[in-house]
Amino acid sequence: MAQELRSINLVAPAFKGINTEDSPLAQDPSFAEIADNAVIDKRGRIAARKGYDVVTTNKTVLGTASIRAIREFRDNAGNSKIFSVGNNKIISGTTTLADETPGSYTITADNWKMVDFNDSIYFFQRGYQPLVYSNASGAVETLSSVSGAAGVASTMYGNEVIAAYGRLWTADFTNNKSTVYWSDLLIGHDWSGGTSGSIDISKVWPDGYDEIVALAAHNGMLIIFGQHSIVVYQGAEAPATMSLMDTVAGVGCVDRDTVQHTGTDVIFLSHTGLRSFGRTIQEKSMPISTLSRTITKDIISLIQNESSFFRSVYSPEENFYLLTFVGQETTFCFDIRGALEDGSLRVTRWPGSVFTAYERLTDGTLYVGTTDGISEYKDYSDNGSSYRFKYFSPSLTFGDVSRLKILKKIKPTLVGANSATVFMKFAYDFGTSYRTTEFTVGNQQPAFFNVNEFGTNSSPLSEFTGGELTNQRSLNAVGSGTTVVVGLESDINGFALSLQEINLLALIGKTV
Amino acid sequence: MGWFENLTGISTGDAVRAGAGVYLAERAYDRLGDIGEQARREASDIARQGLTQSEFRPFTVTTATGGMMGVGPEGGTTMAVSPQEQALQQQLMGGAGQFFGQAQMPTTAREQAVFERMRAAQRPEEERQRLALEERLAAQGRLGTSSAAYGGATPEQLAMATAQEEARNRAMLSAMQQAQAEQAQQAALGQQFLGAGYIPQQQLIAATQPGLTTAQLAQRGQLTGAGLFGEAEMSGLEALLSSGIGQANLFGQIGTGLLAGSGAFGDLDITDLF
Repeated sequence: MAQELRSINLVAPAFKGINTEDSPLAQDPSFAEIADNAVIDKRGRIAARKGYDVVTTNKTVLGTASIRAIREFRDNAGNSKIFSVGNNKIISGTTTLADETPGSYTITADNWKMVDFNDSIYFFQRGYQPLVYSNASGAVETLSSVSGAAGVASTMYGNEVIAAYGRLWTADFTNNKSTVYWSDLLIGHDWSGGTSGSIDISKVWPDGYDEIVALAAHNGMLIIFGQHSIVVYQGAEAPATMSLMDTVAGVGCVDRDTVQHTGTDVIFLSHTGLRSFGRTIQEKSMPISTLSRTITKDIISLIQNESSFFRSVYSPEENFYLLTFVGQETTFCFDIRGALEDGSLRVTRWPGSVFTAYERLTDGTLYVGTTDGISEYKDYSDNGSSYRFKYFSPSLTFGDVSRLKILKKIKPTLVGANSATVFMKFAYDFGTSYRTTEFTVGNQQPAFFNVNEFGTNSSPLSEFTGGELTNQRSLNAVGSGTTVVVGLESDINGFALSLQEINLLALIGKTV
Repeated sequence: MGWFENLTGISTGDAVRAGAGVYLAERAYDRLGDIGEQARREASDIARQGLTQSEFRPFTVTTATGGMMGVGPEGGTTMAVSPQEQALQQQLMGGAGQFFGQAQMPTTAREQAVFERMRAAQRPEEERQRLALEERLAAQGRLGTSSAAYGGATPEQLAMATAQEEARNRAMLSAMQQAQAEQAQQAALGQQFLGAGYIPQQQLIAATQPGLTTAQLAQRGQLTGAGLFGEAEMSGLEALLSSGIGQANLFGQIGTGLLAGSGAFGDLDITDLF
């Protein structure tokens, strides 16, 4: 008697993102063992990330170096100017990069942090006199050269700077790791008069000693991130009277460039993974939650091996928080629309990432920095080159670990992936030698309303939008084993790809 | 008629009568001179006796506390307080000198001393408040706060420092006022001691008033007696002079009568002879 085929339907596979922490056998099939160059799309499916489109056409100023930071400066009149740093220069522009470095100002490092504040943009880097640009001056100049500048001394040449509560706040100095300085109210170049001041928290660290890494402002609070602890002050609107609200021992921040505001929360990278301050207004307490619980070991390994620097960005339009380990060319993409049951975020990985800077513009455009200059996160190719989207499921047991499974059919349902060649892979019993079957999605040009339906200059124009293209295939599978891993790979080169579901048909065999 | 009569043409009887008259007139003249001389001499004796009788008599007043005031024959006054009073007077005078000396000293050192004592009283509480603030700031994690608007500190630290400085300033002003008040007090005490130092003398002088009155009474009686004596003596002298003048006048009248009766001098007035 022929045995019944058992169907396992992986609906929206990997919509919970990567999970490398739990045992593969015990995992929810909604997790993924691998989800490379993927994001969770708007429908909760795993999909290929967007690529980047280089905007810069003249990067002479940048040379062979990479953009290390990007910042959009918007003045009070709404004018916008893009600043970036790299190749030991202060740079402006997007298409043609222009050197804005002040004359006779020598820069030997590019670890700048830029902040907008009161119609000016400020540049801070440890050991360097801060720089400032405003439309009034029309040029980047040293802070001390600004009319009315006061208290601009090497003691306040901080590595971290934020603009909050009407002031600039800076910390992380060459010889002082426990003091935070703040400027006079609304005067970013006055650090010794008015209501400017400082606070030395060397006696406040919960563990006795720590060093300030980053600052953040949230809900009237000043959050001071140490390497291994966090100190929170309330009433930071009046810094002279702000008082200690909370301290967190054992959790600190790895790098100032990993701190991002999500509007309702502050996300940062600690030595044990990505974390956030949960906001509880009534209790006025800030419980910390771990957001990267599903990749803890991976992320710790990356932190420990990082020899370059970190970059991060929060994009509400893309609904993700990107964390890039630049030296290891790895980016983790955390979907911030919702948390899993354990509080962690759905995460995917972008290996081979060349992104060295991020900036979300006020119009939602996401700029990324590379060695090519400034690019825009858009479309589905990396400046014309393809990148590989990968999905691999955890080991699937079909509900019975002890019995043999004989795959008969693999039926993936893809959305998009126009003209893409898709490789379906499967392996048994934790093996790494995957059997591969491939297919090419048809060349289906989608039709959009009022666009030439059959190519440029064709006629007629489309009257209706064709919607997303869905491709469903039925692939034969061979072999058997107690556990099955199913994967999908495809080079993304111009078109989006989403994995709607994978339906597996298998015979359940004898107990082994 | 005798030779005389022949010779002079004046009868002997007239001559004798004239001679007797001249003699008596001369006796009256001499007697008047003697009476005047006697009156001058007697008056001088009376004056000498009056001077002796009205002469000032020294006296001494002794008080109950042993003080003594003596008035000498020449009117010189000598006062002496008792040894106890003198010792007290010296003590008071010495004290007055010390107080005046202290009042003349500069007040700077005293101001500093008073200031230090006041600060010594204030410091413990200030230290307690400082520690309490330090603990409070430490609990609030604000121990390292420095704000330019508050003099490089927190508002609380500035308020405390201001309060302490105000207390310090008040203490300084109070110390100055206290030193000046003490200076005035020293001067007042000096004056009091000086005044008190003269009290034995004043009391001695006061105590001599009854003695002086008594002496004046005695002096008055003495002077009255001397006056009465003089008046009585002068009355006797005047009577003596009156009787002598009477006698002289009698001799003169007799002599004049005799001379006039003799007719020897014609119409010559007997007074023309003298």
